[in-house]
Amino acid sequence: MKTKFERYHIEVKEAPSKIKLPPEFTIKRYNNCLNVQECVQACIYEAHKIHDDGQIANPIEDLCRGCHLCALACPKGAISVGINPKFAELGNSYFNPERIETIYFEAETGRVPVSGTGYRGAFSGKGFDGIWLDFSEIVRPTRDGIHGREYISTAVDLGKRLPYLKFDGNGNMLSDPPRTLEIPIPIILDAPLGSSFSRNLQIALAKAANRLNSFAIVGAKEFSPELAAYKANLIPRIDSREIGEFNDLVKTSRIIEVDAEEDEGQESLKEIRESNPSALVSLRFPFDGKSGERAGDFARAGADIIHFYADEATVERNPDTIVNAIRFTHSYLVDRGIRDEVTFISSGGIAEAAHVPKSIILGADAVSIGLAYQIALGCNVCYGDKHAGDCPMMVKNEDVELAAQRIVNLIGSWKDQLLEVLGGMGLREVRRQRGEMGRAMFYEDLEAKVFGDGE
Amino acid sequence: MQEQLAFQIPDAKPTPLTYQSAIQKYEVVMDRSKCTMCGACMETCPEFIGSATIDYEAFKKPDGYLRIVNTKSSCVGLKCQRCVKACPTGALSVTLNPGYVALGDRRWTADLILSTWEQAQTGNLSKKHEYRIGDSEGGFDKIRFSFELAEEKGLEVKLPSEEDFDTSIVLNRRDDERPRIEIPIPVYGADMSFGSVSLNVMLARAEAAKAWGSFTSTGEGGYPDELIPYKDHVITQVATGHFGVNAETIKRTRIVVLKYAQGAKPGLGGHLLADKVTSEVAKIREVVPHTSLFSPFPFHNVYSVEDHYRHVQLMKDINPRALVSVKVSTPVDVDMVAIGSYYAGANILQIDGGFGGTGAAPDIAKKNIAMPVEYAIPIVHNYLVREGVRDEIVVMASGGIRTAYDVAKAIALGADGAVIGTAELVALGCKRCENCERGRGCPSGIATTDPILMLSINPERGAQRIINMYRSWRKQWGYILTRLGLESIRELRPRDEVRFRKGRFNHLVHLGHLR
Repeated sequence: MKTKFERYHIEVKEAPSKIKLPPEFTIKRYNNCLNVQECVQACIYEAHKIHDDGQIANPIEDLCRGCHLCALACPKGAISVGINPKFAELGNSYFNPERIETIYFEAETGRVPVSGTGYRGAFSGKGFDGIWLDFSEIVRPTRDGIHGREYISTAVDLGKRLPYLKFDGNGNMLSDPPRTLEIPIPIILDAPLGSSFSRNLQIALAKAANRLNSFAIVGAKEFSPELAAYKANLIPRIDSREIGEFNDLVKTSRIIEVDAEEDEGQESLKEIRESNPSALVSLRFPFDGKSGERAGDFARAGADIIHFYADEATVERNPDTIVNAIRFTHSYLVDRGIRDEVTFISSGGIAEAAHVPKSIILGADAVSIGLAYQIALGCNVCYGDKHAGDCPMMVKNEDVELAAQRIVNLIGSWKDQLLEVLGGMGLREVRRQRGEMGRAMFYEDLEAKVFGDGE
Repeated sequence: MQEQLAFQIPDAKPTPLTYQSAIQKYEVVMDRSKCTMCGACMETCPEFIGSATIDYEAFKKPDGYLRIVNTKSSCVGLKCQRCVKACPTGALSVTLNPGYVALGDRRWTADLILSTWEQAQTGNLSKKHEYRIGDSEGGFDKIRFSFELAEEKGLEVKLPSEEDFDTSIVLNRRDDERPRIEIPIPVYGADMSFGSVSLNVMLARAEAAKAWGSFTSTGEGGYPDELIPYKDHVITQVATGHFGVNAETIKRTRIVVLKYAQGAKPGLGGHLLADKVTSEVAKIREVVPHTSLFSPFPFHNVYSVEDHYRHVQLMKDINPRALVSVKVSTPVDVDMVAIGSYYAGANILQIDGGFGGTGAAPDIAKKNIAMPVEYAIPIVHNYLVREGVRDEIVVMASGGIRTAYDVAKAIALGADGAVIGTAELVALGCKRCENCERGRGCPSGIATTDPILMLSINPERGAQRIINMYRSWRKQWGYILTRLGLESIRELRPRDEVRFRKGRFNHLVHLGHLR
């Protein structure tokens, strides 16, 4: 039991990746260069240098920041700064090069990405890109979170909350006390199943979850003995047909996640409750057209947590999927008056820090992330096409400490960005952001209101 | 009729950037192994290929690819291809220059940057590059004036005489015995602090504002003494950090702006990184040098409309002649904020949309918080009309207004005018490379306090370039007004509520809703 209040703090420190991203820009020096070296003078990033023999050296593209000054300074027009095709090919249309570059920065430094000039991208977009968040101005006070003068809580509860308490005539409580676990940040980590995730990286993930005081979901079949030290921060993920095989894990875990694709959850819940009555049970299921109904069924059957996910390939095809799925699931539970009887964790489509508050404002209690932190460890979003066994990119990062720190940094940076959003909205805790759809602005709504056929 | 002040349109003087090369849109590449040196290309294109500098070293080699370079002239591009057709052996190809492809972004495309440079150089419309819209697939980039749809591509733009139309607006419409300041163009300069930009940039902007009889703003970084000669054209900003703000600087100015929020980082405070807080900056801001400066959010003395009223009145009391502008960003209830500011006594309401510029802001805030100004303008306008107070308050739009056409569209959507930041910097040579806050700051010497880098901007040349840009903009406004049959830009602002029907409203067409 905690006896004194401690402010939640994520310890970030520099953790440079062993895998380098290709530089964003490529500098071409054409053969009409006369070695006048104006480019050397012009470049403040020292991408252009001179050899000892006085000849111009090949440009160092890693240092280039794309300011084009060398191209403009060259009297012969012999330089052009272009986009590096290798950079442009990174990732896919959803996990695009800019997002991957941002994740690398966050994982390396743990800092909030800050830059000059205004927004540079498309006006709006599908999915999370079509949402703008509200903030407070003049009449609703904001809170000053990130610079630390006011405390904003990012903690959320996992588990059921009782709608009311029952007492007998003597004032004794009849209701079972609610079983909830508090995590200090609404983000849990999700490990992929199968062999693509090496044992070392599994340990790194567990370490990171431990340091963040959150949870990592790890396939029960892949549980290795080295994970025992981090048990308190691990959620074993078990197929509903195989619960019996992992009785030890079930007995000793605080949360157990069941892949509930095969049954409707009741059987699994019963089985786990018999073996470990105090554990929270999370039922995991892919988002589909019936997610609302299924969430209702799971909640009524007694699940503590529902964990719905959309796989990244689906989200890439249509980013709206995830936004609609979260909204619909949340609204369904609210409409039936059972929203607080189950914790709703959403995963899928979380590619940048803003997607965490956006998922929550749409109605999720917390999110679980997978691909984002895997990219921080070197994943190149090939969806398993390019590795039958171990992921070739991730193996290189087998330095457990480095990998753990990169995950911690990423989440540390995302937490600070979450604080920026919460502070701007004037919210004192992330719990109050859940389902606050009135404080989000949707592209379709604004378009219809302003440019559509009237209000 | 509004009273026209005696005003001379400032002269446009050719003022190129001081760079030795230009970023050209197209390049011509020759496959040396196919070239027979017949000279047909030079004959057919004397302007570009004929007068190009030849790289003899490369030319002597029998193979390889050669880029035809001409720093004095530029290739017309894919439409022309005369050289490609003229070459008997097919040795030539015309392609986009990779430097052009890498320049700019969706909002500020390479064309917009290059066309703004061109306008700043000549004071005329750009002939080579798109100067009206960007490529963001929404907002202003999807809105057109109805006459634009009918215009043929490459139509020769006939400009009306510059005396035949009126682009002036009045910045005070209240009956409050404060001056009815009139500016001859419907724009003034945005808030940029000393520290986020260099003194030379501030001087250039102030000189241009003076020439146009308009304004520029101090931003939140205090009021450098060098700006005092321009005091009739400098707005004093009072922001939450109160850096360098005192009664004297408020008394000096004709307009005080109370910055409640900034579109690029709404709900968040300002942030000047330690690197930029040189001893000069620190002195003016009255802080310790080389420490990061956080400007808190919000004003901690304003938590209600009543507080807001007192805050505006405080400014009015300190300076009984000044107009008070309230700068807010665009939350869900921006209309309520607007009406609150009206009742608090603001003369000007500046709504700063979410896509506004900044010297440094968290990326999460730039994209995800606050609505774009294209929505906020009609929402605020309609609400003020409904409340019956629209004609008493001036609404200035900012945050992502890049071109003369953007300004005109903002006015046609319900604003009185616009506040321009990034476009002025682009006129000075900004390429939007996003490095304002890194290390020594801006490589072009704009958003920096580095004593050597800042010398890249000469205040006189810079002022002339901004003057030129607005000269070109004014021509475009004249053209728009003429096409719409209007005489004054004040007539462009709708009197009543803005209501689109089938994608159309008054002179505007929204391509996304067109039926």
